[in-house]
Amino acid sequence: MNILRKFLNFKGIIGITLVLCVILIAVLAPLIIPPEFATRMDMRARLSPPNMAHWMGTDQLGRDLFYRVMLGARTSINIATSAVLMSLVIGLPLGLISGYFGGRTDNVLMRLVDTLLSFPALLLALTISAVLGPNLQNTIIAIGIAFTPYLARLIRGEALRVAQMPYVEAARSSGATNSRLIIGHVLPNIMPVVIVQSTISLAFAILAEAGLSFLGLGTQPPEASWGLMIQASRDYLDRAPWTALVPGTAVALTVLGLNMFGDVLRDVLDPRSQS
Amino acid sequence: MAYFIQRLLSMAVTLFLISIITFTVTNILPGDVAMMIMGTQSNPAALANLRESLGLNDPLIYQYGRWIFGMLTGDWGNSLLFKQPIGPILLQKMTASALIVLLSMTIALTLAIPLGVWSAVYKNRWQDTAGSSVSILGVSLPDFFWGIMLILLFARALGWFPSSGFVHPNEDFLLALKHAFLPSLALGLGLMAHLTRMTRATMTGILSQEFIRVARAKGLAEKTVIWQYGLANAIGPVMTVAGLQMGYLFGSIIVMESLFNYTGMGWLTYQALLNRDMPLIQATVFIIAAVVMLVNLLVDLLYPIFDPRIELK
Amino acid sequence: MKSKIIHNAISALGATVILGLLSPAWAASCPVKGGTLIWGHSETTQNLYTHQTGTISTMRILQNIHDGLVTTDKNLNIIPELAESYVVSKDGMSYTFKLRDGVKFHDGSDMTSADVKYSFEKVMDPDTGAVNKPVFNSVGSIETPDNLTVIIKMDKINAPFLGRLAALGAGAIIPEGSAETQGTMPVGAGPFKFVRREIGNEVELERFDDYWNGPACIERLIAREVTEPTVRLTGLRTGEMHLINDIPADRIDEIKADKNLEVLSWSHGVFDFVNLNYKFEPFQDQRVRLAVDYIIDKEVLLQGALWGQGKTAASPGFSSSASYNKDLTQRPQDIAKAKALLKEAGYGPGDLKVVFKATTNYPYHVEAAQILVEWFREAGVELTIEQLTWADWLGQVWVDKDFQMSMMNFNSIWEEDFLYYSLYNSTGGFNYRGINDPVIDELTEKARVTIDDAARADIYKEVQQRVFDKVHDIVVWHRNSSFGAQKSVGGLDTLVNADGATYHFHKVWLKE
Repeated sequence: MNILRKFLNFKGIIGITLVLCVILIAVLAPLIIPPEFATRMDMRARLSPPNMAHWMGTDQLGRDLFYRVMLGARTSINIATSAVLMSLVIGLPLGLISGYFGGRTDNVLMRLVDTLLSFPALLLALTISAVLGPNLQNTIIAIGIAFTPYLARLIRGEALRVAQMPYVEAARSSGATNSRLIIGHVLPNIMPVVIVQSTISLAFAILAEAGLSFLGLGTQPPEASWGLMIQASRDYLDRAPWTALVPGTAVALTVLGLNMFGDVLRDVLDPRSQS
Repeated sequence: MAYFIQRLLSMAVTLFLISIITFTVTNILPGDVAMMIMGTQSNPAALANLRESLGLNDPLIYQYGRWIFGMLTGDWGNSLLFKQPIGPILLQKMTASALIVLLSMTIALTLAIPLGVWSAVYKNRWQDTAGSSVSILGVSLPDFFWGIMLILLFARALGWFPSSGFVHPNEDFLLALKHAFLPSLALGLGLMAHLTRMTRATMTGILSQEFIRVARAKGLAEKTVIWQYGLANAIGPVMTVAGLQMGYLFGSIIVMESLFNYTGMGWLTYQALLNRDMPLIQATVFIIAAVVMLVNLLVDLLYPIFDPRIELK
Repeated sequence: MKSKIIHNAISALGATVILGLLSPAWAASCPVKGGTLIWGHSETTQNLYTHQTGTISTMRILQNIHDGLVTTDKNLNIIPELAESYVVSKDGMSYTFKLRDGVKFHDGSDMTSADVKYSFEKVMDPDTGAVNKPVFNSVGSIETPDNLTVIIKMDKINAPFLGRLAALGAGAIIPEGSAETQGTMPVGAGPFKFVRREIGNEVELERFDDYWNGPACIERLIAREVTEPTVRLTGLRTGEMHLINDIPADRIDEIKADKNLEVLSWSHGVFDFVNLNYKFEPFQDQRVRLAVDYIIDKEVLLQGALWGQGKTAASPGFSSSASYNKDLTQRPQDIAKAKALLKEAGYGPGDLKVVFKATTNYPYHVEAAQILVEWFREAGVELTIEQLTWADWLGQVWVDKDFQMSMMNFNSIWEEDFLYYSLYNSTGGFNYRGINDPVIDELTEKARVTIDDAARADIYKEVQQRVFDKVHDIVVWHRNSSFGAQKSVGGLDTLVNADGATYHFHKVWLKE
């Protein structure tokens, strides 16, 4: 009951509602709306403002922004989720091993992670995308790799803290194997932090996808993604601001929802943060 | 002193690692220097010749050595794109970026500290919710989107600020500030969110501490208690977070400077990447990583100055 | 940022002495002298060494700093510039240039035959990496019998030589020994002196008072590099800039309606075409290439990608030149016919999948590609787009020829040998599609040794016909170039060079 109450404050309600809405749209839109609606052009209705035929107006090629933003949700969410999962798959073991064993392994790994942290994530993602060539899959890899050092650093700190707790020490002295300790004790204890951080990372990944696409190194046209839509609006800003406002609002609401949801999750899962 | 030396040594190791990563990454980028030099005149035979004469066929270790030696002796090589020595270009572009980095940090801190303190003082009341909502909004929009909105509002509609370009501070300081303002504001709004949260969390902790209660009991005005006693103690952690945000900031200027046609380090890095200007990519990426690292080191070393325990004695 | 492929050359070849006569525009004096003109330039300048730079963006500036031995008038006729006159021997094997007396470089020194020899030998030197090196391929020796005479001896006949020399990139004369410093401090004999450049920001030029053809009207030219089109437009409207080039296509009508502004647009100079790679097996079948041509509605594509700012055309030729084949007309869109052709070639609906590589350097190519996707789908072909930066496009499409379908544009190639030989001869330097057509090979070789202008023009008309018949490329349009200016700028009619891509500020003036 107590947990439920924590979720149901102002922030929690808004956050959960927004996140649920976006997930629903990402899952349902492609089932309801035929995919070609996102790329269908109408040369007689280019850059038309929101009207009855086009609720949210059209872009420079006369494509309906409502359909594009709805269908673009899946692309953006897909990239963000995959990228965060990828950084978890690499960062979690790295951080766990480093934090749990400490010593030389920790020294070497963290030195590497610290060095990587000196490179701005966007710069790293840009460079990786330039190396691999821009497409959907490589965008995921670029963002995933760029985020890994941050997660690894955080998880390592948590693992270090948990590994030094008395009950873990006790279990160790009673002869439990390292792998059992890591999986049985350390991992469950750091999960709350990992979950909270992943939620917030999702928000950052959505922003990163938008940034990469904005620079032309992310999703490829005519695919609809929010970042790509904002990028395309750049030359028509003063004539047709809705072309930027529609996808911009979609990004903002999603990230806002994820951040609020993340904050509430933190309050629920991670009691220490409440000071 | 020992601590200082140890930090310097570890800095040297990190710089070395940064240089290795930079060199490796630029060498696996598709396309090479020879191709970019020849452009549309490229043909396989001429490319092979040029590669040989540029030393691109030498072992990588040797090329790396040459690069490092060049940088240590002040020879940063020539940009392929601009056909000019890289050193002076970097210097000029660093000035431009320093201006927006400092300005955006100032904007972020001036907004974040009062907002964070306010939220902490009114913890869990509507003021707190409002405060954190505002700060979350800042981070919820891609910063280039803020940029676009600011251009629409302040440059296009109101005409208060120029929408693009860079003016050197030595030429006309006020005009330089005007050009730097919109990109800095856009960056500052994104930064603000993290700093507000940090200020709020730190202040909440401090306000529940013993010495604050003592100060209140002594009958000091609430204003004095919060701003002088409370905030003075929160500055340290906030500055550390601000330092950590440098990395984020240097990533964001790539997008922001391109959007505002503000020709600083971010713009230069993007141009170098776009045009596969390898020597320039190596230099800009290395410099950015090194600056981010140095700023963090500086914050670490300056920490004692902000440290509350020293203040409070 | 945008690098355009440029090359200027000319076809005329005279066997008589041609005297340097000033064109009427140049003879006109300045109604008002002085003032600083601010030009909102659409692109970032790069390497300032004229022999090495290959981009139109930088050439636009350098055209004002350097003069060449010969140049062209508005009608693409060759005229002497730093040369006073020249003689071409009857057998086409030697060229004798008589230099103008008293021409000064910006550094104060006099131009002599030694400078000419030095400049040309620098272009010929492989270490320079000169873009125009091939221009001098058949040059045997350069002799300087006296201070004001230069004799160029050829190893074999090269009919287009003089024309190619008229391009500033090739024929620009720099002071002896200055090659090393040209990249940072270009020095020439043109109407403007280089003052400074802030990379990515602006270039400043100053009037050269000792210019051989009379000093320029304006005192100073500042070229601000503003790559965002909407920002450039705002600058023009608020009066921050006197002049901007490359008005966004969708905004031209709006600027035309503004009483305080003037717009100039012209459609010769740039052509765009869709490229099909012969290495990609389906495109080796002429029926498939023809089908692709029938899939594309060029008029709608022009509307969609360029907001109608251009003219659809079936030939890549320079529309103002004598060799332009005016009889060619584009194939109309006919999806049914395209489907039938594809079926005949063995590709039913869904059988053919094609990747289209478009460079982000030309955003309108990306727009065009998106429109093509829809039509291709109607015809049962799955087209996917891959966006490439300019560097990646050069690497993958141009050098490695690793592509299936792409799109490119060429700028100001009006010299026929350069255009048709480079693009369509099987050994041509620009033949990245792998075209291997014996008929075209023979025609382009024959043109090189055909001294008669009219006969050469006919050969090139045949080449254009052949390219169209065989669908070696699908030319879609000739794109408009444009600039907008404040009413206070005078002499605009002299601004654009005959190549349609570069500007000359000598006789542009500011009303006060």
